[in-house]
Amino acid sequence: MSEKAPFYSRKTYRPGLVFQPQAHENIKRGINTLVSAIRPTLGPTARTVAVTSLIENKSSPEVLDDGGIIARRVIELHRRDADIGAMLARALICRQNERMGDGSATTAVLLQAIYNGGLHYLAAGGNAMRLRHHLESALRKALAALDEQTYFVGGKRSLAQVAESICHDAPLAKLLGEIFDIIGAYGRLDIRKDHSRSLRREYIEGMAWDSGLFSRDMIVNQTDLQTVYEEPALVLVDSKVNDPRHVMPMLEIAVEQKIEKLILVAGDLSAGAMAGLMMANGKLKNFQVMAVRGPGSNADERAAAFEDLAIAAGAQTLVEVAGDSLKDVTVKHFGRARRGWASAHNFGIIGGKGDPRKLRAHIRRLQSWLEQSDDPQMREALQKRIGRLMGGSATLWIGGASKIEIDQQKTLAEKTASAMRAAVSDGVLPGGGMAFMSCRGALEPASQSGADPDERAAHRILYDALAEPARAIFENAGYEPGEVFARLAREDNGAGFDVLSGAITDGAALIDSAAVMKAALRNAALTAGMMLTIDVMVHHHTPEIARQPG
Amino acid sequence: MLGVEISRELSESAETVYALAASPGFAKDGRCFAATSGGLYRSSDGGSGWKLLRLTDEAVSPMAATAVAVSPAFAQDRALFAAVKGGILRSSDGGDTWFAAKFPAPPPLFTALVISPNFARDGFMLAGTMEDGVFSSTDRGLNWQPWNFGLFDLGVLCLAASPHLPADETIVAGTETGLYRSTNGGRAWRESSFPSEFAPILSLAYLDLSANGVGETLLFAGTEQNGLFVSGGEGEGWHRIAPEALPGSVNQLQILRKPDGEARIVALAEDGVLISRDAGQNWDYRVQTEDPPTAFLVPKRSGETMFIGLAGKGIVKYDF
Repeated sequence: MSEKAPFYSRKTYRPGLVFQPQAHENIKRGINTLVSAIRPTLGPTARTVAVTSLIENKSSPEVLDDGGIIARRVIELHRRDADIGAMLARALICRQNERMGDGSATTAVLLQAIYNGGLHYLAAGGNAMRLRHHLESALRKALAALDEQTYFVGGKRSLAQVAESICHDAPLAKLLGEIFDIIGAYGRLDIRKDHSRSLRREYIEGMAWDSGLFSRDMIVNQTDLQTVYEEPALVLVDSKVNDPRHVMPMLEIAVEQKIEKLILVAGDLSAGAMAGLMMANGKLKNFQVMAVRGPGSNADERAAAFEDLAIAAGAQTLVEVAGDSLKDVTVKHFGRARRGWASAHNFGIIGGKGDPRKLRAHIRRLQSWLEQSDDPQMREALQKRIGRLMGGSATLWIGGASKIEIDQQKTLAEKTASAMRAAVSDGVLPGGGMAFMSCRGALEPASQSGADPDERAAHRILYDALAEPARAIFENAGYEPGEVFARLAREDNGAGFDVLSGAITDGAALIDSAAVMKAALRNAALTAGMMLTIDVMVHHHTPEIARQPG
Repeated sequence: MLGVEISRELSESAETVYALAASPGFAKDGRCFAATSGGLYRSSDGGSGWKLLRLTDEAVSPMAATAVAVSPAFAQDRALFAAVKGGILRSSDGGDTWFAAKFPAPPPLFTALVISPNFARDGFMLAGTMEDGVFSSTDRGLNWQPWNFGLFDLGVLCLAASPHLPADETIVAGTETGLYRSTNGGRAWRESSFPSEFAPILSLAYLDLSANGVGETLLFAGTEQNGLFVSGGEGEGWHRIAPEALPGSVNQLQILRKPDGEARIVALAEDGVLISRDAGQNWDYRVQTEDPPTAFLVPKRSGETMFIGLAGKGIVKYDF
């Protein structure tokens, strides 16, 4: 049996230790190599990077203009010493991209500038630990200066401007501007592929869940394949309703209370219980009931969905772990809504009649959890819950001429939407690297007259690095950075340079998300400071780690 | 009582008046409208005589009208809107013929109608409802869409548009449990910091502090039991004003601006109409009524005319 060719392999390295000055030089080489591949993608005139496909039988390379994805594609560098620097930088850039959805190229450029500046100082005899300490101090000043420049935008036109500064796609930016003007920082936005050739958006009123009717026999409108009730009552039970007799108390109360439409949301429903409900639909005059499967794919999701539904509709859930079952239902368990609807796969309510004060307090609690959570899955789940409770959702349908175009556009829309959320909730800054340029004033005094040489050096390093994003943007657009900086120096504070028109503009014309830019600066400075303290590299023998599957 | 009562109309039919509206050219055309429990009435002679308008093909009894609004360009477009149970009717001939717009079931109960000051160009309107939140129309009342994103309380009791609506797209909605503000023409709402323990909010009005009507604004909110509150135009930082003059309900507010730019606030309290000339700090009774007043109207450029609707007693007109 012939051995299959390796699918992906690391070279087998010999173990060894690398000391100074080689360690620093090689880390620098790794960072510079990786950042050189990402730097051309910074700014509105981003150039692209072609990446050979990792999959053997896929011959065409990927053409990318997203720094985060490019970094992810660089799996290793040929030289093992440089590889350590590159991989540390890669982890930083990927984290920025995953968490913020934007700013990965800015992060890369800042990291490179701070590390190289720091290394220059260490080569002249500086102390790495003290330099790191003062870099963190300088970082705090720069972040405070960014805070001072942060402002909030509203209105679809301004938000479209923010979106365009992120995605550089005017039609997409226009739609996202309108959507975020409506849904705000916490609203629910689904981005889906469409069969059409263009972009479109849709707004859905009320709260909807991905869970539908237990039986298609309960579908009333065979054209829309859904059932809509006006002024329905709701009963929520998170367990399985096994015994057909358990639905009787609920039906009796419904008749006593002159309820004409009833939605039962249950964890599960036996065939016997379903038959009981169907019989009620046929026999009871002026009464209709539909049974909907409780939302959520696991226990946590289900509990959360029942909690949200109960608060929105003013119902009390019959909870299995508390010993409740449907036979225990009383009038107080019934909730109400203005309208309720269900299809085979979804259901929702419009105008839940729960206490608005309780609903507001519940949403505030979820927002607080969202702000405290770092777990991406938890954040996504909380985001969905809040968006649903806000009373509506938006869907952006992504069409295009080909599957590749649709996929690329969807990725771009998701990335932009993520950064837009941050911009709406945390504000915006002057774009085009101008916010970083304006921070430099806060560092200047300590860079010139700080008591400690390490302090002066740290401030000077960050001072210089803060000009690098703007420099890269100007270079990528084909301008001579020194010339543009000289033109800007003659203008008032707050002026920016629009590389698309080649004109000096009001700073407000170019916008970046404040959260994205602050995260980029903070992560780049802290990571560069940490990397400057690396004194020795240790290599292990690395075996081949993967072979072609099958 | 100040002023002279010159007519008491509709009193025999014992109607309760929910809302009053006048043509912007009232001083010339004398047109005004009253939404009452017995239907929509029109006066073409400055409020001396009132005629019940036929809104639909109702055979038995007229439909109650809960709100009425007149186009700011009434002289040109003759557009008029009346809210009845389950729908909003529009007329483009000053109230002679009516057309209904469709709304989703169950039928909404309308509480307020707001028309854009730029209606002739943007055709924009909003309607508040008791249980369905806010509906908006951008085609002169032809089609209506529910816009309730972020509006957690769908019991909307009153609406007010910013005096700079075409520019800032700001609208506020008073509800059973608080105050909501939209800065995008009602497409999405954010909760204001109004203290919810003082809700429900029955009335809202913006006051532009500058003489020329382009400056900073104050927002007034009248509550059901707790008097009048004021904040900056942003709807944050509320405080109660004039608790002695307005100790209980403030059912309606109207801002009057005289030709010289002087602004007055008129408030409908439990027992009459009060007026303030100093941005709500001090109030004087303009009219005190024996029967509970339910609505009032001071038509623009009408001199000193005021209409007051009474619970079950029709309309009283005062000329001062």
